[in-house]
Amino acid sequence: MAEAMGFFTDTTVCIGCKACEVACKEWNQLPAENGGIRELSGDSYDNTRRLDGIHWRHVRFIEQFKGPYDGRWLMMSDVCKHCVQAGCLEVCPTGAIIRTEFDTVVIQSDVCNGCRACIAACPFGVIDINPVSGTAQKCTLCYDRLKVGLEPACSKACPTDSIQFGTIAELRPRAQKRVDQLKAQGVEAHLYGADPTGPLGGLNSFYLLVDKDEVYGLPHKPQLPSRNLTKSAGFSVLSAGVLGVLALVGLRKRRMDQVGGSGGSN
Amino acid sequence: MPGAHLKWGWAWPANRRNIYNRASADLNGNPWSERKRWVWWDPHFVNPPDPKTGKPIPPGKWVGYDVPDFTLTMPPSHKGKPDGIIMEPLSGTDAYIMRPEGKGWIYVPAGLVDGPFPTHYEPHESPVQNLLYPKQQSSPVHKVWSQGKPWNQLAAVGDPKFPYVITTYRLTEHYLAGAMSRWLPWLSELQPELFIELGKGLAKEKGINNLDYVIITTPRSHVRAKALVTDRIGVLKVAGKTIHHVGMPWHWGWMGLSTGDVVNDLTAWVGDPNVSIHEGKAFVCNVEKA
Repeated sequence: MAEAMGFFTDTTVCIGCKACEVACKEWNQLPAENGGIRELSGDSYDNTRRLDGIHWRHVRFIEQFKGPYDGRWLMMSDVCKHCVQAGCLEVCPTGAIIRTEFDTVVIQSDVCNGCRACIAACPFGVIDINPVSGTAQKCTLCYDRLKVGLEPACSKACPTDSIQFGTIAELRPRAQKRVDQLKAQGVEAHLYGADPTGPLGGLNSFYLLVDKDEVYGLPHKPQLPSRNLTKSAGFSVLSAGVLGVLALVGLRKRRMDQVGGSGGSN
Repeated sequence: MPGAHLKWGWAWPANRRNIYNRASADLNGNPWSERKRWVWWDPHFVNPPDPKTGKPIPPGKWVGYDVPDFTLTMPPSHKGKPDGIIMEPLSGTDAYIMRPEGKGWIYVPAGLVDGPFPTHYEPHESPVQNLLYPKQQSSPVHKVWSQGKPWNQLAAVGDPKFPYVITTYRLTEHYLAGAMSRWLPWLSELQPELFIELGKGLAKEKGINNLDYVIITTPRSHVRAKALVTDRIGVLKVAGKTIHHVGMPWHWGWMGLSTGDVVNDLTAWVGDPNVSIHEGKAFVCNVEKA
């Protein structure tokens, strides 16, 4: 396996230009919603609103103002997290979702049967059906570009290097250095998903945030579908036991009834 | 962080951020002050031999945060040839290399309409009197097209019919008036409709909710746009008056995937004195719920 590759997104330098969204759509030839004819969302400068089958990159705009001109405008380019322990990969019944040699998670469109199990399994709401292919789709971390030694289209297009691409081994210390630098300037900053011992074994697309995870629409404790396995298995064993006992009781009662009934009539 | 941040974006043509930046160093090539350090002469820099002729080049080079706008190996002590051609007359202290004599000028005999020093004039249309020059409201040498014509009516100072300041600007998603970008699905879905950004105070005063249609009026024309109510824009306190400020992108027209009214219909036909750029950053308007 090649080295694990991924993104470090430093949200403090994102300017909300959406160049990543457009570069992603251009490289991956994703259609615009309704051919591009849409209505204003009224939610700041965010008119695509979420990640889905045809939006593999999405820039979030968060307005935090106490009064006129008094506050800040947070921007964050969101994408598939390429989780080290991926929920989508866990539930895919066809084997369409694979882990690549770059430790990224890719859905093979020609294998996917569109069952949507992965859509429900993703703790970040990244995956959705692409209406053109009828299959579940999401960011591939530009697997085709990585194969030939190019960096993904979004990070290539990012004018401020808010999206940084590289090996995870190199990105993590770089991100920590940036957090230290910001803290020295008095800015509250933390990394989301950079800890390999944290939730989902770390995210290969991790973020530098300056507010609570939830402000950016990121779950504080993302969880895998398999979190229910032990408990469910316990319940299964328990219910099997209860059913067994009930069955024995039932059988015994029928037998006693039969014995008692024949005795009574004779 | 000090520096020119040369990897942040690109400045045509040589990625140089300040032209004539040799002037950031004194006659001897040292920074005028530590705080203003930008480009300076490093007398100890060892130069490789001339790649064309193979001749050795004496040590010393212009270095710094920015791309030096000067002959890189010309020392500050260099004497120009007064009878030379092209740039030969320039000496090692002549920072303004595109001037024939290499000097920066404060006054010019011809060319500039105003100057030489910056001052303050109000925009041609303004809700307030000029506090600096009560008798000279705006620049006396503004370019005004079609003066007095019906299509270029200008509001008087503090006209109560047009009480708000309006700024027009661009978005990253569209290009110029949008003739090219409004046909592109990928760009149109990102900014699909014309809008006016207005503060929560004005919105409350006028009963305007987010996404309501709004009519924006100037003495020239009126346009319709959806309201984007936000605290990113708001009120200005000028000369004791509270003046609401609104903003509109001007990328829309009537054709394309994403269509909308033409915001430049609102703009005053007034240009800056020297290059006649439209005064679209500051004029006055009225805003009403449609």
